[in-house]
Amino acid sequence: MSITNKHSIPKGKVTETAEELYENSPCGYVSFLTDGTIYNINRTLLSWLNSTKEEIIYVKKFPDLFKIGGQIFFETHFFPLIRMQGFIQEINFDIVKKDRSSFPGLINVNEIPAKGKNPLTYRATIFDITDRKKYEKELMAAKKKAEEDSHAKAEFLSTISHEIRTPLHAILGIGNLLSKTHLNEDQKEYARILLLSSENLLGLVNNLLDLSKIEAEKVELEKRDFNIKNMVKMLQQTFRVKAAEKNIDLLVEMDENVPQELSGDPIKLSQILTNLIGNAIKFTKKGSVSIIIEHLETGSNESLFGFKVCDTGMGIPQDKLEAIFQEFSQASYDVNLEYGGTGLGLTISQKLLHLHKSEMKVQSIEGQGSEFSFEIWYEVNENYSCPKDKKISTEDRKILESSRVLVVDDNPANIYITAQFLNDWKLENESAKSGFEAIEMLRKKDFDLILLDLHMPKLNGYKTAKEIRALKLKKQPILIALSASERGEINYKLKKAGFQDHVPKPFQPEKLLEMLVHYLHNPDHQEMKKYPLTNLESVEEMVDEKEIQAVKNTSQPQLGQSPSFNVSKFVKMSNHNALYLDKFIKSTLDALVTYEQEFLDAVKANSTEMLGDLIHKSTMSMFYIQADNLSKLMEEVRILIEKDVTATEILQKKSKACTAEFKKIIEGLKKLKAGEILAILD
Amino acid sequence: MSSLEKISALQRNNVKVLGSGIQPMLFAHGYGCDQHMWRYVYPEFEKDYKVILFDHVGAGNSDNNSYSKEKYDELLGYSEDILEICEELDLKDVIFVAHSVSCMIAALAANLEPSRFSKLIMIGPSARYINDDGYVGGFYKEDIDDLMEALDSNYLGWSANMAPVIMGNPDKPELGEELTNSFCRTNPEIAKHFAKVTFLSDNRKDLTSVVVPTLVLQCSQDIIAPVEVGQYVHDNLQNSEFQILNATGHCPNLSAPEETTLAIKNYLASTTQ
Repeated sequence: MSITNKHSIPKGKVTETAEELYENSPCGYVSFLTDGTIYNINRTLLSWLNSTKEEIIYVKKFPDLFKIGGQIFFETHFFPLIRMQGFIQEINFDIVKKDRSSFPGLINVNEIPAKGKNPLTYRATIFDITDRKKYEKELMAAKKKAEEDSHAKAEFLSTISHEIRTPLHAILGIGNLLSKTHLNEDQKEYARILLLSSENLLGLVNNLLDLSKIEAEKVELEKRDFNIKNMVKMLQQTFRVKAAEKNIDLLVEMDENVPQELSGDPIKLSQILTNLIGNAIKFTKKGSVSIIIEHLETGSNESLFGFKVCDTGMGIPQDKLEAIFQEFSQASYDVNLEYGGTGLGLTISQKLLHLHKSEMKVQSIEGQGSEFSFEIWYEVNENYSCPKDKKISTEDRKILESSRVLVVDDNPANIYITAQFLNDWKLENESAKSGFEAIEMLRKKDFDLILLDLHMPKLNGYKTAKEIRALKLKKQPILIALSASERGEINYKLKKAGFQDHVPKPFQPEKLLEMLVHYLHNPDHQEMKKYPLTNLESVEEMVDEKEIQAVKNTSQPQLGQSPSFNVSKFVKMSNHNALYLDKFIKSTLDALVTYEQEFLDAVKANSTEMLGDLIHKSTMSMFYIQADNLSKLMEEVRILIEKDVTATEILQKKSKACTAEFKKIIEGLKKLKAGEILAILD
Repeated sequence: MSSLEKISALQRNNVKVLGSGIQPMLFAHGYGCDQHMWRYVYPEFEKDYKVILFDHVGAGNSDNNSYSKEKYDELLGYSEDILEICEELDLKDVIFVAHSVSCMIAALAANLEPSRFSKLIMIGPSARYINDDGYVGGFYKEDIDDLMEALDSNYLGWSANMAPVIMGNPDKPELGEELTNSFCRTNPEIAKHFAKVTFLSDNRKDLTSVVVPTLVLQCSQDIIAPVEVGQYVHDNLQNSEFQILNATGHCPNLSAPEETTLAIKNYLASTTQ
């Protein structure tokens, strides 16, 4: 029939009731009372539920339409919210049909206020969102995976930082001790540079972690007095050797009127300059690198300083000038091949400058050189006095000399270092290499204070502390935890285990001394107030995915062995020396054999803790031989155990795969002959 | 502890102190909500008490940066926070009104520092949500996985998608305009962790050592805390009264604030000389 015939439709004879519209609407309608009892429901929803009105009305309650999880969610989230705001939109519940199957529904609810005889009620609309849900699920799965990957990478970075900080502790400690022995002038200078450089390195390690913290806006500027001339001198000395190696001059030009003593954040400045100078030297083949510091402006109590690092190096193409400040970007792929580096330095520097409300500027002419410059306002400190070595007061001396300390650490180097400082402070001390040994010693002898490492095999610091607290002793010792962990969160655990306080490793000697004196003076173990530790903020290290990618990219091409692992890192580390390479391979092989057994034990004991320890301590081995697959498998097994799916086939399957991977690597390593590998390569 | 620089408990837990009385009355919200859930109850006590409201870390406007999986892996972490709030405000003789999971948080806090509290009011408590050999908690362990799914599927709905809107309250004009969709927002990951910690907790052993006099308020037809569960709590506390409310569901403080308020007032009146 054509449109022109519309007049033949009898006007006003077609009727449609609201009820019909209600019953057949494309969405489900349901109304319920405050206790949830359903008093009305439309036909659409009934057909979705496969039920009749009689089965629902005044029989079922609104939450009965949901699965159990939905019911809990309704009671704990949905209902409180609707009571408070009168409506709720777009909440997803799985709606259960008569045959117990379900479909995803999107629900909107409005509160209908009481009116006349009608009590307060609720009216809900329900949409079937099966299709939408399908897409959403896929998106969510992809997102979850990305988040998990990023989390795994963050863990990895945190572990690596832990691994770096531990040996650094040794270097710093020994350096400190060395500088206190009788040295000739040259040696003194070397020891000083050693100390300065390792401190600088520690600062860098910490600051690398800062990159993620900066992005999470968790880094703040510190304010303390510092001597800028000393800082620049230190930087010059640090880089002198490198510059000399390349036969380039390292020049410093500082305005006469730059005051010595400033107040600000010296670590951040030093990090920026270290990055710039390091880069400048790296990219300069001949000529010079200059550090220029100018006093630009004087404000009421602040002054503006200009910093420039200029080189006569290769320069940067104009079109790359902006990109160099982005993470992991270097001017070109070839640059990365030739010069290496993470490509993070400038990013960190730029972000640190943003914290100072400043910005890095760069000018460059290809083939002639580059100039990086920035400006920072610093307070000028007029009443600056040179920091002197802290003298120990007679009173403190007395308490130190009359106290006895026990150092508990599984690492002999750490014990040695700590003990040297304690000796230096005339503090009687003994050591124990494990928690068990410590407990035995405590049974026989009194100690006033115990320095207890947290990360020890078998009986860790927490457990040791708990056991010590359970001992019947004449006097309970003060417990101070030592840990190289960069992460926070342990505060509560420490307190619960019975610790009074916590010192991060590597410790700064004065701070440890300060803490010792405080607690020894306070036998009732009162907490120390205001002990500023900057490295211990609770950190969520959100690491950029690319960061780990950068680490991965450093791997060399596969050497034709089993793809489960790769010894190219060892080849590089051994400098193509067969003897060293052999040693690396053998020691890794030994470690892997032990790890395999420990893995089996951990699975047998269903212990995520044992497995976690194993994963932690095997990180470096796995990293060196790039046994990514094995690492992944171990982590998966750990998660399975953690989620308590111990009885399932999947755990067995994964454990088997993991053991097989262990075997594969062990067999593979056994077959390797250093000489042959090198012969193929050379 | 001094090693970690931390913000004050008052900031961390978004603590609000109201009322003109002297004796403190501390309100602790339950799982899935925040301090707003006391909005129809606390005004009734403002005249006679010092009313303290707060958000558990991870809920409402608490400081999410203070959340740590380690600390809040057991309810004790939340109890510790409450004791810190009490200490910072120097609260004594506290009447502790707790809803849902906060009841056990309150029990743990009362065991740590019994002298701090004069009375506990537990609304919809459960010492253990999962059925156990001979014990009826109301849930199976698998049900909690199902809850995780429900939380996951509302990941967007509950956190990001709901932009706060300003609207009036025609029913309750005294509340004025406010940011309506700002209630009970949680970080989804924290919500899931808190759900696990809540529903997998078992505090049956802790009940018997509670010495603070307690009122157990039980709702009719509450699937989260059925009557047997409330009865169990009452039976195992040393010094408690048990009252079943006509209110249905899990949140009588929202569905039947008058009844809830009256029950609390009567109990306080009957136990105060």
